[in-house]
Amino acid sequence: MYWVAGGFIFRRVNSPFHSLDPRVKLLISAELFVVSLTAYSVTQLAVVMAVMLSIAAVSKILKRVGRTLIFSAGFSVFIFVINLFASHSLLTSAVYSVRFLAIIISTSLFFITTSPDELEQVMKSAHLPRDVVFAFTTAVRFIPVLMLDAIQIVDAQKSRGLEVEKGNLIRRVRKMVPVLIPLVVNSVIRSGELAEAMESRAYGAVSRPTSLQRYSSTKRDKLVAAGSLILFIITVYIYVRFPTPL
Amino acid sequence: MIEFRDVTFVHQTGKAALRDVNLKVEKAEMLAVVGENGAGKTTLVKHVNGLLKPTKGTVLVDGEETTKKSTAELSRKVGIAFQNPDHQLFSESVEAETAFALKNFGFSRELIDQRLNWALQFFGLEEYRNSSPLALSGGEKKRLTLACILAWDPEVVILDEPTVGQDAIQKEKLSGIIKMLRSTGKTTIIVSHDVEFIWPLQPRLVVMSQGRVVADGPADTLMRDEGLLEGARVMQPQLVELYQRLRRRPDSPFASVNDARLWITGPVVS
Amino acid sequence: MGIATLLDIQRWKGLGGNNMGEILRVQNLSFRYPEATKFAVRDFDLTIKGGEIVILAGPSGCGKSTLLRAVNGLIPHMYTGEYLGSVSVGDHKVSEARMSELAQTVGLLFQNPENQIFMFSVERDIAFGLENLAVPPDEMRTRVDEAMRQLGITDLAQRAPHELSDGQKQRVALAGVIVMRPRLIILDEPTSLLDPKTAVELVELVRRLRDETGITFLIVEHRLELLVRIADRLVVMSEGRKVLDGGPEEVLADERAAAYGISIPPIPRLRNQLKRDGLPLENGFGPDELAEELNREALGR
Repeated sequence: MYWVAGGFIFRRVNSPFHSLDPRVKLLISAELFVVSLTAYSVTQLAVVMAVMLSIAAVSKILKRVGRTLIFSAGFSVFIFVINLFASHSLLTSAVYSVRFLAIIISTSLFFITTSPDELEQVMKSAHLPRDVVFAFTTAVRFIPVLMLDAIQIVDAQKSRGLEVEKGNLIRRVRKMVPVLIPLVVNSVIRSGELAEAMESRAYGAVSRPTSLQRYSSTKRDKLVAAGSLILFIITVYIYVRFPTPL
Repeated sequence: MIEFRDVTFVHQTGKAALRDVNLKVEKAEMLAVVGENGAGKTTLVKHVNGLLKPTKGTVLVDGEETTKKSTAELSRKVGIAFQNPDHQLFSESVEAETAFALKNFGFSRELIDQRLNWALQFFGLEEYRNSSPLALSGGEKKRLTLACILAWDPEVVILDEPTVGQDAIQKEKLSGIIKMLRSTGKTTIIVSHDVEFIWPLQPRLVVMSQGRVVADGPADTLMRDEGLLEGARVMQPQLVELYQRLRRRPDSPFASVNDARLWITGPVVS
Repeated sequence: MGIATLLDIQRWKGLGGNNMGEILRVQNLSFRYPEATKFAVRDFDLTIKGGEIVILAGPSGCGKSTLLRAVNGLIPHMYTGEYLGSVSVGDHKVSEARMSELAQTVGLLFQNPENQIFMFSVERDIAFGLENLAVPPDEMRTRVDEAMRQLGITDLAQRAPHELSDGQKQRVALAGVIVMRPRLIILDEPTSLLDPKTAVELVELVRRLRDETGITFLIVEHRLELLVRIADRLVVMSEGRKVLDGGPEEVLADERAAAYGISIPPIPRLRNQLKRDGLPLENGFGPDELAEELNREALGR
């Protein structure tokens, strides 16, 4: 459980990719997503994968990307098998399943390197309503806290003789009741306290709040964005101009 | 009853929460564990009922290694009351809440009824028998969590920060309950910051700091060691500090701690 | 520090510290939650002067939390119910002012700091209230930096909440309140989750903040032994009513205090008993002061 909670905790890393404007990161991630999604040859996939893994290496997040891949491996295998059954060739099926992994990597590049703060910034610049943005950031902020609550509740109930791991599925589901009820009760208590604290700190006083942090794109951000766009267009051009069979 | 042999515990995050802990608690002993937040006190007690298993070393309960038993089996002997009652109350009634563990342990219907009646009466919760545990006040919730544990009559009772959020009246009740536990021969472990609460109980004191046991001895002796407590971010009980200050002056008329104590005994001990 | 900031602090001090006028006036307040049979607070009167440190004590369920919420405006703005009497903080009548105005006059630090830290970095969380008031970024920067300096947490500016200790979380939450430059700060059982030394540090911090900025403090607390030393007044509540109000020595010496469920700290309790035994003692809450007096007494005999 600690491990799962840990996955939700953003770790600050110093890398040239991390320090980019979050919107630029989102752009690059989106471009890679499109390029991965439309890749149809082994060479193309190999190149895309190589590019993404080098970005991951530069950002020092290879390990976390690897962990994400392990999580999605099962699904990737599933796609492979389904395609085989759908009487695709071995190679086609492999391309499909690797393409799935490529798509996962392209999105995780953005989410792993972007702090919740930056995510909030991106949402704000997309002009999402303040309440939506705040609800989202608060949810992310409290996931680890609720996880710790859950651990403490499980510990308390195990100490009262509850054996969560024992029994068949229905029994196990029923055994979740002593865990779920306190978890819900605690979340309700927490959200009540949160609401009081928000109210006490003038939440919603003005319709356009200011922000302590101002993200402004630097020259470097603009250069990187422009560069990535050019590469993206070239890639799309190659895809369209030289359609190679598998 | 309980023995820690060179126990080290490292979290999955890589943080060592216990380092080379050696500790032996005899049957019917009363132990208080103090130390700064994050010193490893709660990690220590979670080893006693097997919620956590040592990364290195062994923990023995009644001569048996905790790694060979499930938490459910160990809990039959070791009852832990955690700090926050809201982390465990879930039943529709106080009665059902108290019976929960007893059912898990496979007690007979009659025995459950008998133990239940005793526990609710003892903790003054009779009148709430059919009310929801969530409707109780903070102090009553705390007492209910204790009732839930004592109902199955474990040999070891562990209280994690029992005084947090409790007012003077509740604390006095708690103190009475702890004294009762001692007189009935239960092994009791109290994890607490509250030196003013612990000191009058005169337990054996274990001082922890950064995952280590830095001192172990009678509370009366250890609490005179200001430096030791300081290191574990614990305060001296005010009366202990008073005794020491009375003696510190070269011309102090209080030659010994006993003199000082005698001088103010009447009022203090009561 | 720039001249502008200095001036600003002076102005702020002028508002809170040097003005010994009333900061809080609770008049004949009664409040009953909807569907509750009893009033949580009854016929309550309380006046607090600027710069005072006042402790509010009483057993669980005596109505302390309700009173706090009535002072900072959560009652009646967030919780409705039967509301009689009036509460004024600074120049505002609580029931008529808006929450955003009240947030700049009275700050409330809740018991569990975890539930009042919203943002992913310390400095952004401290800025939360100012962002909500649309304070310009430059001014916000100055005020956030100042609040962090006052609480000694400047080096934590970029930390995330989960990287903080309990004591640090408490300070961050307090900084988020201080940054609003309130004239009155309410602390709800501020030491209950802290280890003793950290609690002592917090108590010292409160004293220093009061001395430096003149902010008034209203503190709800069970653990009196730490706080009575810095308090100007001790108010005792029981069943929704104010039952005792006076200097801490006086209130702790009152025989009724214990009966109302107040835990009399060891030293005052001992003093009371020694005095009753006929020892002519002065006042003081620390073991140091009492030791000094006792030594003097014993030697004098």
